[in-house]
Amino acid sequence: MIAREVLAAYLDDTLSDVETAQVEQALRQHETLRRQLRGLLQERDRGEHSVGAVWRRNRLSCPSREQLGNYLLGVLEPGPHDYVEFHLRTIGCAFCQANLSDLEAQQQENTPQVQERRKRVFHSSAGLLRKK
Amino acid sequence: MTTDSDRLLVQQIRQCDARAWEHLIARYEGRLFAFVHRRIKDLAACEDIVQETFIGFYTSLPNYDDRRELQTYLFTIASHKITDYLRRTGRHPLQNASEGPNDLLHLKLDDQPAASSVARSHERQVLESDAVARALGQLLDAWREQGDHERIKVMELLLVKGWANKDVAKFVGISEQQVANIRFAAVKKISEHVKGAGLSPDVFPELHSQ
Repeated sequence: MIAREVLAAYLDDTLSDVETAQVEQALRQHETLRRQLRGLLQERDRGEHSVGAVWRRNRLSCPSREQLGNYLLGVLEPGPHDYVEFHLRTIGCAFCQANLSDLEAQQQENTPQVQERRKRVFHSSAGLLRKK
Repeated sequence: MTTDSDRLLVQQIRQCDARAWEHLIARYEGRLFAFVHRRIKDLAACEDIVQETFIGFYTSLPNYDDRRELQTYLFTIASHKITDYLRRTGRHPLQNASEGPNDLLHLKLDDQPAASSVARSHERQVLESDAVARALGQLLDAWREQGDHERIKVMELLLVKGWANKDVAKFVGISEQQVANIRFAAVKKISEHVKGAGLSPDVFPELHSQ
C-alpha cells in the first residue's frame, strides 16, 4: 500500500532511492495505483495543494547542514540525534540523505576526482558570466 | 531562509564574479551530485545533470528571490533536470506503464497547463503555499524550542508520509487519541493562519478532512 503523500513525493522526485524503487514497482503492477496517481495529477491541475507537499518542498523540518555534520560526528544531544536519525531513515528525506552522503565523502577524502569534476562544471558554465 | 553567506555569493554572481561562481559550485556541487546519483547511476549523466542545474540556476537568476533558501532552490532545479533526463532517455517508469495519448505519462509531463490550471492563477497558489509554509514553520520552530521532537515526528509522519493515526501512534509509542489531538490542534492553527491571510484552506485536502 502506497500512501497518497508518498505518491505526491514520487511525482516531485523527492523520495529516497529505496522508496522510489518501491513506488515504481508498485506502479508497474497495480492499475489502481496508476488510477490514484492520475487522480492526484488532476487534483494538482485543479490547483489543489497538499500540506505535506508544502512541507517537503520547503524542507521545513530538515536539519541544518551543521546538524547533519554533528550527527555524523556523533556529537548531537540524544533528542536531536534521534530526530535526525528519524528524518533520514523513517522519513527518508532525499535532500538530507544527499547532504549526508556529501559530508561523508568530504570526511573520507577530497579526491582529485571530485576536484576535477568541479573544475569541469566550473569551466563549462563560467563563460555564461562573461556573456552578460 | 537563505544564509547571509549565500546571499552575498548570489549578489557577487549577479555582478559576474567568476570567483563567486566557483565558490558556489564548490559549496553545492557535492550534495547535488549525491542527490542526482540517488536516481541516476550513470556518473557521466549525473555530472551533466549537475552542470545543467548550475546553468539553470544562472539563467533563472533574474527571477530568483534572495529570501528563498538557495540550497532548496538548487535541489528543486535538480529534481526538474532529473525528470527531464529520465523522460529524454525513455526511462521514466510512467512511460513503461503508458499505453496511449491519455496515459499517465502525458498527464504528468504535459508542458501545456490545462485550462483549469490557467484559471486558477499561479500567484494565488504561491500565496496559499507560502501561508501554509509560514504557519507550519512557526509550529515547528515552537516545538523545536521546547525540544518537543515527538510532536514533530507525529505531524511529519501524518502529513509528509501520509501514515494513518494508528500507525503513527504505534511508531511513536503514544495513544491514537494523543495523535488525533496533536493533529487536530496543528490543523486548526494552520487553517486559522491561512484564513487570517485572507485565503481559503479548502484547497488543502488535509485541512478540510477534519
